[in-house]
Amino acid sequence: LKRRQLTMRAAETGAAVAIAILALLIGLLFVAAAGASVSGAISALWQGAFGSSASVAGVITKIVPLTLVALGWIVVFRAGRFHVGFPGQIMLGGIFSAFIGLHLHTLPHAVHLPLAILAGVLGGIVMAAIAAWLWVSRGVNEILSTLLLNLIVFQILDWLVSGPMKVPGGVIPATAPLDPDAVWPFAWVGTLGWDVVYIPIAVVGIAFLLSRTRFGFRISLVGANERFARTVGVEIGRIGVGAIVLSGALAGLAGSSLILTGENTGMTGDFEGSYGFDGIAVALLARNSPWGVLPAALLFAVLRQGANLLEANLGVSTAAIDVTQGLIILLVLGATTVFYRISKRFALPPTGGGTMESVAHAPVIGVQTESPAL
Amino acid sequence: VIPILADIGYGPFNMGWVAAAIVITTPILLAAVGELISERAGVLNVGLEGMMLVGAFASYWVTWKTGNTVVGALAGGMAGVVTAVTMGLIAIEAKADQIVTGVGINLVAAGVTAFGFDQIFGARPVIVVDRIGTIAIPGLSHLPGGIGPALFDHDWLAYLAFLMVPVSWYLLYRTKWGLAIRASGELPEAADTAGASVRRIRWLSVLTAGFFAGLGGSYLVLVSVGLFHQDMTAGRGFLALVAVIFGRWRPLGVLGAALVLGGIDALQIRLATVDTLASQVWIVLAIVLLAIPAFRLARRRRAFVGVGSGVVVGLAIVSAVMFIVTPRIALPDQLWRVMPYVLALVWLAGATTRARVPARLTVPYSRE
Repeated sequence: LKRRQLTMRAAETGAAVAIAILALLIGLLFVAAAGASVSGAISALWQGAFGSSASVAGVITKIVPLTLVALGWIVVFRAGRFHVGFPGQIMLGGIFSAFIGLHLHTLPHAVHLPLAILAGVLGGIVMAAIAAWLWVSRGVNEILSTLLLNLIVFQILDWLVSGPMKVPGGVIPATAPLDPDAVWPFAWVGTLGWDVVYIPIAVVGIAFLLSRTRFGFRISLVGANERFARTVGVEIGRIGVGAIVLSGALAGLAGSSLILTGENTGMTGDFEGSYGFDGIAVALLARNSPWGVLPAALLFAVLRQGANLLEANLGVSTAAIDVTQGLIILLVLGATTVFYRISKRFALPPTGGGTMESVAHAPVIGVQTESPAL
Repeated sequence: VIPILADIGYGPFNMGWVAAAIVITTPILLAAVGELISERAGVLNVGLEGMMLVGAFASYWVTWKTGNTVVGALAGGMAGVVTAVTMGLIAIEAKADQIVTGVGINLVAAGVTAFGFDQIFGARPVIVVDRIGTIAIPGLSHLPGGIGPALFDHDWLAYLAFLMVPVSWYLLYRTKWGLAIRASGELPEAADTAGASVRRIRWLSVLTAGFFAGLGGSYLVLVSVGLFHQDMTAGRGFLALVAVIFGRWRPLGVLGAALVLGGIDALQIRLATVDTLASQVWIVLAIVLLAIPAFRLARRRRAFVGVGSGVVVGLAIVSAVMFIVTPRIALPDQLWRVMPYVLALVWLAGATTRARVPARLTVPYSRE
């Protein structure tokens, strides 16, 4: 059985790699359709991502929010409470961080920066808590509520940067640069911030939480079989709320990083940069494994970073990269069943709540009793 | 298209507002009617926004090529169908999560249309394509007081959108097909046992949703502006989703919800030009807000109990006070844009709505 599971995992990894390659090939097809040379595109992507220390710094900077959001998704996914509220949580986290960074002064760096980070985490938690409360006490499906909450926070952010928080006398809707004491100091090269330490800490931390702690075990239990979990005395509501809030905290942290790292140009209305949804794509490609997040986030970060040079050098619209990223989501989702059927044919045991199959058993809107039982 | 009309009505709420509201409602209503059928069959289609965008682009392209707006509009609808095929393959066949699939479709649609536009039109000067003309309904379009021109002088897509409301009602509640659709959203096992293929029903429903979303997108191009730009759907797909929620998954409710959303948007546009908020708005707002708890009282649903009613009454008092203190005040347009989403959230949290959600919405069906 152990060997079978290992084979299964190897096959899953292979499938993920195949999907990434397939999506890239389709993306290159678009490049070819635009009349640009494919080899030129590949080298532009490579150069754009790894050509200089500044671009490598750009890639690593982008891995940070992608990793955090992907880990947040994995937590809620394991609990069977997956939501799409990451963009909103990133945005409110960023708003809170920016507020602390803009309006507090004369604080020492060692106090101001942690305060700004904590504010970001709090922002993410607030957003997640709204969705969690709506789910647990009003029975509102967390996916629908977070979808709406994203749209609401986007308008709030738009209003803030063009109204109350706008830099006085500024032309473009953006805040002033933050207090220098509130932002991350640069590490090693370019505009890379020290917040890169989040990457190993968060991955190890979430992997440990899910596989080695009581809370993590309960999360998986609830996600795998809610009825059973209830029978053995696990409080479904508390675990679900805990998972949603934890994912919100991670997304809020990502939001704070987007504001507090880099050139410190202040907050704009589009600082979220669709990291919220791309983080989900990263987690899907990683097949919801915390360790798999690292290579998947690297791929997405390289695509994002390389896209700029692709456009500058070859005149290929960055939309080609957007297509590739969206295709990865759809292909991963589509490949799942094919995969599931193959695994059934070989009479392998279904691999429980942690894999893609339970995505297929989404909870019923408004009703919590339905379990994602397989 | 529609001249500023004279005026039954009050302040900004005249017949010109009604006419503008209908133009804004139509694309939302088109998408929402399709989505209604899809959701009643059990498939929640978050990719509506992307389908509208693809429809808008296809109609722009084809209308430019052929010079025929009817062909263009149908091309928009068919492009929506093609996008919906992706949805069907992944959400129905592969049984993946419908909402994540929808998110993916939105990303791909945004990318593909931006890329296509860049390729085909990027190097050209701005092209304005032909637009669909209005068809005045004989007799009715001459009703006095501005009513005739406001209601009965629109394009065929608008008439189609409003016609689809009774049609979808008839389809859902008076035909065998409708029964099968509702069954596959509520109790797919029963539909299957009765010999209706849940798989086929859900496929047809999703494709229908794609077609109407595509039509809604082409409306934006062929009626409103004659242009295409990357973010032209601007959340209308999500508004259509909201309309279905507000409408409690019923055709008439969806119509009402779409009209309210369109009405709010039209009002916002009209008020944006005057820059300050007329006192009439406060009065109407206070009346509407006060009417909600009164309506609840009339229906004896735990009137004035719960946070919702308290908030509503509070807002009504605030708007009444605002009327007295500052009759003219500028509100940020973001407040108007956020309102539908906030209301939808409050609506979802309301106890009475929950019972109306199709029981198996978002749950893939597999025969076991």
